[in-house]
Amino acid sequence: MGKLLKKEDFNRFLLKLKSKGELIAPVKRDILRFEPVEDVKEICLEGLPWFPIKKFFLPAEHHLLEIETRRPVFKLRTNQQVIFGAKLCDLNGIARLDKLFLDEIPDQHYKEAREKTILIGIHCKEPVDENCFCESMNLKPFYDLMFYDIGDSYHIEIGSEKGRMLVSKFKDHKMELPAIKTEKHLKKIDISNYFDDKHWQKDTEKCLSCGKCTLLCPSCLCYDIHDEPDLSGENGFRKRLWDSCHYKDFTEVAGGHVFRDQRVSRYKHRVFHKIQYFKDEFEDFMCTGCGRCIRLCPRKIDFADTINKLK
Amino acid sequence: MKLPDIRKLKLPKVSVQEVIKQLQVPTIKPIKIQAVSLKLDEFTIIKKEFQAPYTFLFTLSKALGGEPGQFVQVSLLPYGEVPISLCSYDRKNSQLLIKGVGNVTDAICALDVKSKLWIRGPYGRGYPVEEMKGKDLVVIAGGTGAAPPRSVLDYVELHRKNFGNVRVFFGFRNPEEILFKEDIERWQKKFETKITLDKGDENWKGHVGVITTILEDQKFEPNTAFVMCGPPIMIKFVIELLKKKNVKDEQIYVSLERRMKCGIKKCGHCMVHGKYVCRDGPVFRYDEIKGMEND
Repeated sequence: MGKLLKKEDFNRFLLKLKSKGELIAPVKRDILRFEPVEDVKEICLEGLPWFPIKKFFLPAEHHLLEIETRRPVFKLRTNQQVIFGAKLCDLNGIARLDKLFLDEIPDQHYKEAREKTILIGIHCKEPVDENCFCESMNLKPFYDLMFYDIGDSYHIEIGSEKGRMLVSKFKDHKMELPAIKTEKHLKKIDISNYFDDKHWQKDTEKCLSCGKCTLLCPSCLCYDIHDEPDLSGENGFRKRLWDSCHYKDFTEVAGGHVFRDQRVSRYKHRVFHKIQYFKDEFEDFMCTGCGRCIRLCPRKIDFADTINKLK
Repeated sequence: MKLPDIRKLKLPKVSVQEVIKQLQVPTIKPIKIQAVSLKLDEFTIIKKEFQAPYTFLFTLSKALGGEPGQFVQVSLLPYGEVPISLCSYDRKNSQLLIKGVGNVTDAICALDVKSKLWIRGPYGRGYPVEEMKGKDLVVIAGGTGAAPPRSVLDYVELHRKNFGNVRVFFGFRNPEEILFKEDIERWQKKFETKITLDKGDENWKGHVGVITTILEDQKFEPNTAFVMCGPPIMIKFVIELLKKKNVKDEQIYVSLERRMKCGIKKCGHCMVHGKYVCRDGPVFRYDEIKGMEND
């Protein structure tokens, strides 16, 4: 059973969300992106924002530890946040991060951010463009609330207790939930036998190893840990920074040996992690089919196409 | 986020055979999760011994615990953190062998006695010493790779009755680079211990040549476990030689080296073919990683 919200009451609902914490939603500035919202009228629900929402849980640069007179001091951030307007692919990206970060050794910073966040999604009526391939990726409902645009009002699906509290006073509404049909598909979902395929070399010849695809990916989480001292050499920070498996120094070890020094092996590693390795362990694809890595690749390398071409 | 009620979840129907298959205990047991802690502990360096150029053996104020072959994350605050293998087992004061090869290790090697280090761990899966019980042991290491096998030999010395014939083969570049000279003298009295150098000098009367040259005339019984650690090129050639001597993949335990950042299966740096060297390793039985050890 869902709930119904008339569009004329929508802005009032957003203001209510704003009182629950920092409201983060897609805003059209230079590009469409998730940002803290000042004025709820700025929110733009058309299209897919360039960057996924992972940065609100796993910031590009984040202090894991503060170091004071050569001693570690552990501090957590504390602000509440409400993320509104994420698509199902982005929300599933967070579900993937949860599997790694909230396992038997939970990451305290991530856990804190997750607990203090309300996730509200908006369903795509149709795929954003021809690069989406989420239909192949078996996405699951993962949200506190999910909005479905039905003309003059929104149908709201409830995904958690946290979400139910927000809409408890709204009218009940029943609806058959639409699925997203995409143009692009992954024709293979098990690529374990294709590790030595010749096509890998062909498709990655033009790759620049710029790391844009990992940066834009809603489920890419590889990070670097880096200590930064101040000039006194007594204090500083231990930082967590985004890293990319496309960079050559990603697998560099002491003495200068690089294990994945070929571009093709780095590209292959990412595709295998997205489609195979993660699934072998957690039974879900790591990739959520948002298509950002295809849409925004400077060399137009097509992630889905590469896999489809394997023979 | 509220999790769904487990009791209400519909479970897929699985045949009894399937369940039995899944319940079969893997030959190498995963490490106990309780043993893993993220807390940084303060340690004081109580002894610093010169081993080789840029290489020092640090003795710490406390014991680190852990199994032979596991590793710890050593922090020099506020300069950085590095993964270092345990090189002693069950001693009152744990020891770490650190070679200055980067910013952080250089800075650690420049430390004096009484300096503080912050350490978390031990992490990972070490050499399965329980599984090797009752077997002959062959320890093969090259260069700084001698550190993890030293913890195994520490264990062997404490539990000598558990093992049959123990042989030790170490390879180093030149006489200057020989590590653990005192330990080697002691081992030579207890086990068959052979050292080879890539390049000797006028005082060196021992063997000269790569490590495979001292292994060639050895005979290995089927009931032998191989403990191995060293540079990728050494591992490649030693395994080639062992294959010629009809040694099975299941007998070889090799410690892999990767760049590790978090040590707890998250940051992705040490991933090899879907396996995380920091949690699933660093010690692998060769059949688990065959053909992918250099990827």
